[in-house]
Amino acid sequence: MIITADHVSKWYGQVIGLNDVTLQVSPGITGLLGPNGAGKSTFMKLITGQLKPSKGTIHVLGEPIWRNPALYHRLGFCPEQDSFYERMTGLEWVAVLVRLNGVGETRANEMASRALEMVDLTSAAGKKIGAYSKGMRQRIKMAQALAHEPELLILDEPLAGMDPIARRRTIRMIKEWGRAGRSVVVSSHILHEIESMTSNILLINQGRILAEGNVHQIRDLIDEHPHTVHVKADETRALARALLVEDHVISLKFETDALVVQTARPDAFYARLTAIAASGDLGPIHEVTSPDDNLQAVFKYLVK
Amino acid sequence: MVTTTAARTAFFPSALRIFDLSLGQMLWSRRSIFLALVAGAPVLLAGVIRFADVVEPAALPEINGARLGGPALFGLMIWGLYIRFIVPVLGMFYGTSLIADEVDDKTITYLFVRPIPRGSVIFGKYLAYVVCTALLILPSVVVVYFLVVPIGGGSVGAEFPALAADLALLALGIAAYGALFGWVGARVKRPLVIGLVFVFGWEPGVLLFPGYLKRATVAYYLQGLVPHAMPDDSAVSMLMQVFQEIPTATLSVGALAAITLGAIWLAARAVEQREYVLEQ
Amino acid sequence: MPIHDQGYRRYGGERAPHGRAWAVIASAGVRTMLRKRAFLGLLLLAWAPFFVRAVQIYAAANLPQAAFLAPTPEMFRDFLTQQNVFVFFIAVYAGSGLIASDRRANALQIYLSKPLLRVEYVFGKLAVLLVFLLAVTWVPAIVLLIVQVMFAGNFTFFVDNIFLFPAITLSAFIQTITVSVTMLALSSLSRSSRYVGVLYAGVIFFTQAMYGVLYEVTRDSGWSWVSFSANLSQVNAFIFRMRPAYDTPWPLSLLVLAAVIALSAVILERRVRGVEVVA
Repeated sequence: MIITADHVSKWYGQVIGLNDVTLQVSPGITGLLGPNGAGKSTFMKLITGQLKPSKGTIHVLGEPIWRNPALYHRLGFCPEQDSFYERMTGLEWVAVLVRLNGVGETRANEMASRALEMVDLTSAAGKKIGAYSKGMRQRIKMAQALAHEPELLILDEPLAGMDPIARRRTIRMIKEWGRAGRSVVVSSHILHEIESMTSNILLINQGRILAEGNVHQIRDLIDEHPHTVHVKADETRALARALLVEDHVISLKFETDALVVQTARPDAFYARLTAIAASGDLGPIHEVTSPDDNLQAVFKYLVK
Repeated sequence: MVTTTAARTAFFPSALRIFDLSLGQMLWSRRSIFLALVAGAPVLLAGVIRFADVVEPAALPEINGARLGGPALFGLMIWGLYIRFIVPVLGMFYGTSLIADEVDDKTITYLFVRPIPRGSVIFGKYLAYVVCTALLILPSVVVVYFLVVPIGGGSVGAEFPALAADLALLALGIAAYGALFGWVGARVKRPLVIGLVFVFGWEPGVLLFPGYLKRATVAYYLQGLVPHAMPDDSAVSMLMQVFQEIPTATLSVGALAAITLGAIWLAARAVEQREYVLEQ
Repeated sequence: MPIHDQGYRRYGGERAPHGRAWAVIASAGVRTMLRKRAFLGLLLLAWAPFFVRAVQIYAAANLPQAAFLAPTPEMFRDFLTQQNVFVFFIAVYAGSGLIASDRRANALQIYLSKPLLRVEYVFGKLAVLLVFLLAVTWVPAIVLLIVQVMFAGNFTFFVDNIFLFPAITLSAFIQTITVSVTMLALSSLSRSSRYVGVLYAGVIFFTQAMYGVLYEVTRDSGWSWVSFSANLSQVNAFIFRMRPAYDTPWPLSLLVLAAVIALSAVILERRVRGVEVVA
C-alpha cells in the first residue's frame, strides 16, 4: 500500500477537518472526490506531511510522513494554491526547487527543462511566472511536482483553471504516469474529471470517507438503492405494461419519448429488456441509458 | 528514471541551497529599496555635514571652545543611527519575515515538501538576511567614515581600528537581532508588534535603569563593544550614563554569539515542530 | 391561481444616493477590527491614562490636600502627548493592513468594480483608522474636560480656559489625520501589512533619530522639522499656547505636515488602482 491512514482525525480548533479516517491506498491512480470543504485538502496536507494528525497515524510509502524529509525524494506534490515566486522565470523556479532535492545545478536545469516539456511550457520557460496565464500557472505547478520523477505524485485539484485542451493533455499525462508504474493520488470536486482518469476512487464528505474502491464495485455495494434506466422507445406505454409484471421493477415514469424504470435487480431487468427488444413485439427500442452508473449518482446517493 | 538518493539531504548543504534561492530574492526585491534608503540616509547626512564643513567650517558648533571632531561625529552617527535604529529595525523587519513571508505568500509548501530539514529553510534564509543586510549596511558605514572622520582634522588612518571595531560590532548586531526576531517570527502569530515593543519600548526603557533586566536586551551587549563615547546631551542619555554598567568586550561577544546561536536554534526547532495552516 | 415567478428578479427598492459607499467600507472595517480581542484589549489599555487623570481630577476637586493636582491646560496637552504611544500601536495594528490586505487578496479590483469612486474607497479606509485614533485621543480628552466640570461642580475652569475645547479638537484632528493619511499611503505601497508596519515605524523613529544626530552636530533644535513626531509636537504646543520644545517655527512644522499629507495623497492616487501590470 502506498498510503495507510489509521484512525486519523484532524481538527483546527473547534472545526473537524477529518474525522476518524481509516483507509489504504493501493498503487496506481486513485481519485479523491468530494465537494468543497469535504476534507480533501486536509487529507492531502496530511499525506504530504504539512500537517500532523491530531489523532491516528499516516504512513506514506511505508514510512511515517510527518518530519520525515527523506521521503520527499520519492514524493511530488502539486498544491491547490496559486502562489509562486512571481519574479522568477518558470525554468528558474522549477530548477531551483529540483536543486533542493540534492541535484547539481546543470542536472537540475536539465530536469526542469524536461518537466516543462512534459507540461508543454517550453516556449514560456524564460518568461516570468507573474506573466503566466492561469492555465500556465497550473502547469508550472505540475512541472515542479514531477521534475524529480517521484514514485508518488499527489495532485490537489490539478485541472483547476485549465482550458479543455490542456485539461485533456494533463489527464493523458496522468494516465501515462500511472501506466509507467508510478502512483498518483489526485483530488477534485469535479466528477467527470476523476472518472476520466481512474475508476479507483475515494469518496469523502464532511471529513469522513464515504466509500473507497472501484466505482462499479461501490455501485454494486449499494444494492438497496434502485437502479434507474432510461429507455427510449416508440411504444412506451406497451413497454410499461410488459415491465410492470416483473417483480424487480419498483417504479415506472413517463418522460417525453422515454420510459424511466427503477429496478432492484438491474441484471434481471436488462435480460428482460433484451428479450423484449429481440422479439420486436412492442416496437423498436431506440436507446437504453443509465444515469446511475457513474460517480455523480453514487455520490448523490451516499451523501443523502 | 533518475535515481536520487533517498538519504536525508544534510542540514548545511540544504541551508546553502535555500541561501542561494533567498539571497537573490532579497537583493532584487522591492523591499531592498527600503533597505537602500535606510542605508543611504546616513550617507546623505554625512555628505551634507561634510559639505557644510568644507563650505562653512564655522557652522559646526563648538563645545567648551572645541569643535566637534570627525571621529566623535562618526561615533555619534554609529551610535545614534546604526546601533539604536538601523540594525535593530532591519533585524526586526527581515527576521520576523523569514518564514512569515513564505507563509503569507503560500510558497512555504514548496519548500516543506522537499527532502530537506525544515530547520534548514529558516537557517538558509537567515544567512541570506545576514549577507544581504551586511552587504548594504557595512559599506554605507565605510562611506560615512570617509566622509565624516576628516572633519576637524581627524585622521582616517589613526581611526581605522575604531572603524574595524564598528564594522564587527554592527555585523554582530545584525546577526543577533536577525536571529532573535527570526525566532519570534517563527514562534508567534504577530511578530511585528512584539518586535516594535522590544526595539522601541523594552530595550530603551530597560537600559535606563540599574539591575539585571538590561541583560535581557541585545543593545546592552552591543554597548560593551562600542569603541566611541556615547553622547551626553539629552536627559535620557545622561540617565543612561548614570546607570551605565558596560559589560566587558569578551562577555559582550560571548553573549551576542550565544543569543545568535540560541535564537536561531530555537527558530529552527520551532519551524520543525510547527504546523503552518495556510489561509484558503 | 396565478403562479408567481420564482426566478431572479432585479432589486426594485430604494438605493442610497451615490457617495455613501465610504460609510459601508468604514463600518465594515470598524466591525472587523472590533471582533479581534487583542485589539479590544489595546483600546481598553489606551483608556487607562484617562482613568488615571480622572482620578487625579476627582482628587483635586474633593481633597484639599490634593489641590496641587488641579487640572491645567498643560495637563490636557500632556494627556494627548502621552496617548502618542497608543496612537502608534493602534495605527500599526489597525492601519497597516487596511489597503495592503486588499492588495494581497486582489480585492481592490472587486471594490473598484462596484459603483464607488476611488476617493470613496480611500475615505472609507481612512475613516476606519480615524475612528479608532479619535477614540483614544479626542474622545477621552473631551470626556476628561466634562469630568472636570462634573467633579468641580461648576464651569469656572471651562470658562477660564474656553480655548481648551477647540484646542483639543484641533490638535487631536491634526494628529489623527496626519497619522491616518500617512499610514494609509504606506499601506497602499505593499501587499504585506508587516512591511507597512515597519515602514511606518521607520518614518516615526528614523526621522527622530536623524534629528537627534543633526541636533548633536549643530546644537540647533531648529532641525526638528526633520522629525515627524517633533513637527506634531510643535504644532500641538502652538495650539495649546505652550512653550514649544524646539526652535522650529510652528508654521514650518505645519507646512511639513501638510507636505506629508499631500505626498500621501499623491501616493494613494497612484496606488489605488484596479489593475497592476506585471511586465
